[in-house]
Amino acid sequence: MAQRNVLIMINRPPYGSIYYTEGLRAAVGVTSGVDENKATVAYLGDGVYFALTGVDRKDTDRYLGTLKKQGARLVVQKESLKERGIKEADIGEGFEILPAKEIFLLLQGADFTMDF
Amino acid sequence: MGNLYLINKEYGENGLSLAYYDKEAIVVLLHDGVYISPKLYPSKAKIYAIKQDVEKRGLSGKLSAEYMVAFSLPKHVEFIDYYRLVDLIVENKVINFA
Repeated sequence: MAQRNVLIMINRPPYGSIYYTEGLRAAVGVTSGVDENKATVAYLGDGVYFALTGVDRKDTDRYLGTLKKQGARLVVQKESLKERGIKEADIGEGFEILPAKEIFLLLQGADFTMDF
Repeated sequence: MGNLYLINKEYGENGLSLAYYDKEAIVVLLHDGVYISPKLYPSKAKIYAIKQDVEKRGLSGKLSAEYMVAFSLPKHVEFIDYYRLVDLIVENKVINFA
């Protein structure tokens, strides 16, 4: 198997379900193994609340640490922030803010996508 | 092979916001995704809806070509069955928002 680019899209907010955690767990799984797949995590819609400064990430810190070591990108959709009245300054360290057009390019370049 | 966006209601608008930039987008509205306003359909996309899901929700008239023209809505929706959806899934890269 060759290296694959995988885009993990997280649509759900970081409360009320385990999808936001499971999405990151899947991303870690993608980067594991001999193929050295590349994972990018995109936060869309209500998923962007995960990227706010001050969010309790005790349950995902280890996933985020692993993804950082693997060079995975964590991107947040700019339009979703605007729709929710969230200032870009309120987004935590380690997250990139990208417009939908650029997230589409990530999607276009992905061999495989997953949604959570 | 194009990108096939599977669109349900809950997170479908997130998918449509990306499909908007896709010149070859194929969008399939399924389940409650058929309720999404036609005004949000990406202008360049081919739009399908699952006929069974449309009929169950009583929307056959409001997604018909005649209605779209009468209300100057942007796209025509082609009704398909689940067998055709399987063909589309096999033929294209699936981007799931369903």
